[in-house]
Amino acid sequence: MIMNKLANMDRLRWIELVLLAVAFIVLLIIPQISGAATITMVSRIMIFAVFAMAYDILRGFIGVIHLGFALFIGGGAYFVGILFFHQGATIPMLLLAVVGTTIYSAIWALIVGKISGKSGMLATAMITMAFSEIMRNLMTVWRTVTRGEDGIAFRVPAPFNDRTMMFYACFIFMILMAFVLYKFTKSPTGRVWQAVRENEQRAIFLGYNTARARTIALLVASIVGGLAGVMFGLNSRFVNTEALGMQMTYDAMLYSLLGGAGTLFGAILGSTVVILFQNFLLDLRPIHAIFERWLLFFGALYIVVVMFMPHGIMGYYNAWKEKRAQKKRMAKEAASS
Amino acid sequence: MANILILLFNGISEGALYFLMAASLSVILGLMGVVNFAHGTLFLWGAYVFRWVYVYIFPNNFILAIICATLAGFLIGLIFEKVFISRVYGNIGAQIMITLGLSIVFTELVRVIWGPSALVVGRPPMLAGASHLEFDFGTVIISHYRLFVIIVGVVVAVLGHFLLTRTRVGMTIRAGVQNSEMVGALGININRYFTLVFAVGGALAGFGGALFAPLSTTITPLSGNQFQLMAFIVVVIGGMGSFVGSALGSLFMAVMIALIGWTIPDISLVAPVALMALILIFKPQGLFKWR
Repeated sequence: MIMNKLANMDRLRWIELVLLAVAFIVLLIIPQISGAATITMVSRIMIFAVFAMAYDILRGFIGVIHLGFALFIGGGAYFVGILFFHQGATIPMLLLAVVGTTIYSAIWALIVGKISGKSGMLATAMITMAFSEIMRNLMTVWRTVTRGEDGIAFRVPAPFNDRTMMFYACFIFMILMAFVLYKFTKSPTGRVWQAVRENEQRAIFLGYNTARARTIALLVASIVGGLAGVMFGLNSRFVNTEALGMQMTYDAMLYSLLGGAGTLFGAILGSTVVILFQNFLLDLRPIHAIFERWLLFFGALYIVVVMFMPHGIMGYYNAWKEKRAQKKRMAKEAASS
Repeated sequence: MANILILLFNGISEGALYFLMAASLSVILGLMGVVNFAHGTLFLWGAYVFRWVYVYIFPNNFILAIICATLAGFLIGLIFEKVFISRVYGNIGAQIMITLGLSIVFTELVRVIWGPSALVVGRPPMLAGASHLEFDFGTVIISHYRLFVIIVGVVVAVLGHFLLTRTRVGMTIRAGVQNSEMVGALGININRYFTLVFAVGGALAGFGGALFAPLSTTITPLSGNQFQLMAFIVVVIGGMGSFVGSALGSLFMAVMIALIGWTIPDISLVAPVALMALILIFKPQGLFKWR
């Protein structure tokens, strides 16, 4: 009887593992069987999955609303673009871009950390929005280097100029970053993050250094977001001021919320679903004129997600799993008594 | 000298529009704590409904067109609050997402209904002219329509201030800005006030859009964005929940933008945003604090 239940318990775990393995294998095969457009799109999904996971650290784990998250994807992309365009597309330049992006992201993280400790949630949101708008305007005005809104198209160095290699690079990047972020959320610091999100006052009274926890979260999220920007630049081989636009931040918000805020891996699901949906809408354009206005449906997605599924895909799945486990426990207790 | 005066005058007439947006935005933010990212869309709808009525429904009837645009803003604001925003009070992240979604959808609807390209709007004949004032230092051109917009802005500011400080409804709203839970505890149905404020705020934004259309003479589906951003900044400068603060903030912004546009045009977009960030960091209660 109990053995039977154990087998039942394990079945869900089995299904999860099998699905994960299938996803892994599918991702490995995609570059071999599909065209360049699909390869680039899936690479983009994986890059934005990392970007959204980084965003989830702030929104879902520590409860900071960062409306300037485009600073990082745009900043990383601009580092790659400017260095490759002006100094040549070489691997040393790529390393320089990575170092530069890390420092740049860390500086923004420290500034925002300083401010968010003092100001409220709303003020922090508005200040970070102002930061990304300032940065976008600076890149618009700095025409000699960035070519303003027209942006710069550039070459990328050897292994990354091949779409298939770029795809695998994105794949490795996503797995690596997911692992790093997961480790952070399970670390003692990650526990403090959640305490801060739930009730900062109480966390302070319990003796936690919440300012430090928040700064670490901002550093981790910003640097990972910046690195996603480097990959974004490598994958698109083009950067303009749109990379620093508010829409980038809004996208990250949508991906992480649809996937499930505070679930980390939900962001991967979120970016997959939204980007596929977006491409689906774009493909529908020849069918009916209304799909020329595909943003109509895309905007509706924001509303639907907030109103009808505020916990996101992973959130509901976890709740369902929890309920299922509880039912099993109760049945077990009933059987033993 | 003459040029700078014209620039200031034109800037201040746009400041009157910032004010119409910012005053409603600041009461909404103060009372309900909602950052309304869809406010620029209400402004946009005001502009398009104005043109539609002014050209097709009641041709050349300026007053009726403005009334229709204001009503459109009121109705859309009402729907926004009742159907969508009332469900996410207290959740800042959800509010940002839902108002963002609304702004995307309603901006696209403008493109669906009226087309994606720019439309031309005429000024009413009685306000279309301009006065040329001769001074020692040159000629200052005063557009009658811009003067009209400034006067309307001042009238709305005075009326709004009177309504907020001298009437029962206004006092309840101001009390709600201070502490909405307490007002609710006193047996006042604060949710009804939320709806009212949101709808009237929408009406003000629609009214602003209607005034904007003949001012700029062309409208595009992106017309609302600039005004929304400016309104946010004005709210930060002027403090929340105050018509006088919003009016002073708008005037300040208009003069500042005109002067920067005159001296260092390259930073005319950065400067207001940077100013907002600095004020939020160092003086979050706003520059002009009025009770």
